[in-house]
Amino acid sequence: MPDTAPRSGPHKVLLTFYALFTLAAGARAAVQLATDAGRAPIAYTLSAVAAVTYAAGWVAIRRASVGHTGFASVMLWVELAGVLTVGTLSLVQGDWFPDASVWSDYGIGYGFVPAVLPIAGLVWLRRQKQQQPERARAER
Amino acid sequence: MHDALHTSLGQLTLVAAGYAALVAVVALVVTVRRVPRPTWLDHMVWILELLLVVRAVAGVGSMLNGQRPEEMSAHVGYLVAAVCVLPIAMQSIAEDRGTWSSGVVTVAALAVAVVAVRLQMTWGHGA
Repeated sequence: MPDTAPRSGPHKVLLTFYALFTLAAGARAAVQLATDAGRAPIAYTLSAVAAVTYAAGWVAIRRASVGHTGFASVMLWVELAGVLTVGTLSLVQGDWFPDASVWSDYGIGYGFVPAVLPIAGLVWLRRQKQQQPERARAER
Repeated sequence: MHDALHTSLGQLTLVAAGYAALVAVVALVVTVRRVPRPTWLDHMVWILELLLVVRAVAGVGSMLNGQRPEEMSAHVGYLVAAVCVLPIAMQSIAEDRGTWSSGVVTVAALAVAVVAVRLQMTWGHGA
């Protein structure tokens, strides 16, 4: 398949999730920081961090889908670490979170999709890397 | 949510949420069966989009008539998201009728269903 053809594949579904979560987390953080930042500044700032992470994840997966897996290899682990860190902090340091953040309780407010998403991304990336040498051979 | 049935705006929102859930389930079945995305699934998506546009216009109409949602900025955000999500998702798979493109429809329709429910919640006061 030539590189110019629109590539179908599971990454299209991942990209949809990342776009939606960039929008959801970004809009949520923007509204909460603009209207009531003092209520839970740490939680709202962490929501903004989550939004930036999803935007970066979207770029990373797009790049990985055309063979540049480097950024995704870093970014998806950063995202997983973020979800696990914020999720754990929200459980052990409840007073830092008077209101929920996107990654509070490992993303319970979003059906735990935030916890599953980086794992699904890493599984996809692994397969993507395995297919890479084959494709390189086929093109030669 | 029970109170939503008492107003036409609430009923419209529930119909949109229910239809979005239906589209999501159908799209998931198509994805799992691993067939190219059928044209009728696109038609279902555009009917859903039509419902959402009607809901948005009705919602803006209510607000112009002086009704205020309980959470104004969040509600307007969801209203904009409700009409924008599907066209953007369909644009991303415009030239891709592969199996996974139905997965994109599944995720987008599910998101719209959630947004519709949140529209109702942020409208508040028994809608």
